[in-house]
Amino acid sequence: MTKTKNEKTYAQLKSELDDALAWFESETIDVDEAIEKYKHALSLTKELEVYLKEAENTLKKLT
Amino acid sequence: MNPVFSVSDFVAVLNQTLDYAFPTVTIVGELSNFRVSKGKWVYFDLKDESSSIRFFGTVFMLPGPLEEGMMVKVIGSPRLHQTFGFSITVKSITPVGEGSIKKAAELLQAKLTAEGLFATERKRSFPYPPSRIGLVTSGESAAYKDFLKILSSRWGGIEIVHADVQVQGESAVQQIVSALNELNTTQELDVIVVTRGGGSADDLQAFSSEQVVRAIAASRIPTLVAIGHEVDTSLSELAADRRASTPSNAAELLVPDRDTTILQFRTELKRSCDRITQLFAQETDINKGLLAEANNRLLQEIKKQQNYANNALQVLHGFDPRRILSRGYALVRSGNSPVKSVTQLKLNDIISIRLVDGSVTAKIGSVKPVE
Repeated sequence: MTKTKNEKTYAQLKSELDDALAWFESETIDVDEAIEKYKHALSLTKELEVYLKEAENTLKKLT
Repeated sequence: MNPVFSVSDFVAVLNQTLDYAFPTVTIVGELSNFRVSKGKWVYFDLKDESSSIRFFGTVFMLPGPLEEGMMVKVIGSPRLHQTFGFSITVKSITPVGEGSIKKAAELLQAKLTAEGLFATERKRSFPYPPSRIGLVTSGESAAYKDFLKILSSRWGGIEIVHADVQVQGESAVQQIVSALNELNTTQELDVIVVTRGGGSADDLQAFSSEQVVRAIAASRIPTLVAIGHEVDTSLSELAADRRASTPSNAAELLVPDRDTTILQFRTELKRSCDRITQLFAQETDINKGLLAEANNRLLQEIKKQQNYANNALQVLHGFDPRRILSRGYALVRSGNSPVKSVTQLKLNDIISIRLVDGSVTAKIGSVKPVE
């Protein structure tokens, strides 16, 4: 799979985003940590959006 | 003059002639006297209203179980055997006509079902979306174009390895099986997609052949099979880990839609943002509560201190010497010392007397202790 700008695959970025968002589902969360996590999730989302808009499929023939 | 042959020479010459004139023949007829010997050799006749021909082959050429009376198309090479007479050596055999195709598929389905090839517990999942896809279909087909078009419109960044195969006709089965084997042995893929568009029962037959169905069931890499239109179901689809109704539907099942995904990301992110807002509100409420409590405690403390100060003032007030002086008492000093006893004084000493509203000085005229 094509790499994103920071050399991570879509699956890696998505997994990071899932982890970050799952953290918000915990019962007790710290405000300062929440802000940091949110910033991180926002940056991952932006990167994923760029990837999804720009990535193209590649085709090769089995020889 | 006609040539004269020995029997063996004639057989050899005739076979040479047949090889030259009919290297392969395709014959359609009704299957009869079908038998398998030693699990390997196959003998049968093809017949019509007035003729019958003998055929010989191996079980590996069979498309699956066959039954007497089926209409089949056989491709083979005619040959005159030295002792067993004339027969056609089979290269391939396929049922023809809707009835026979259906019957053959039913027989094969029953056989493979009994072997557990279609069992639900064999089904495997594959990554969603996948990173690398093997695609087995004809590069000239609409199925190929539709699949790639839908895939690219929905998602990007996928590597597709295409095995270009015939999807109908003589070589289809062998090419599909080879492609599946090669993809399984030479490629690291998340899923293999086997697809073709709609067609007649005859056109779709390769995908219900025993060889293709077994190759799909044996695939190390999970498979997604979409053959024909929505109403068509091939045995390959039953053996696959997942089935799609059409080539376009296969692409839809493989990957999400990028716009929908972006929207989902944003929605989830907003939920996190809402959680932070909620958290701030909770923190503010908590802080307000704590502040109010601190305020109350402070007020209580101030009140307590005020009471203490008031009490102290009252006590101090009680000790004020002016209150005593105002009642008519006086403070007598001699020099800087207070006079507490007549023994401190003698005649003519000068004393200072402090009254409530001022001081006077006096000279001692007499000293008389209390008796």
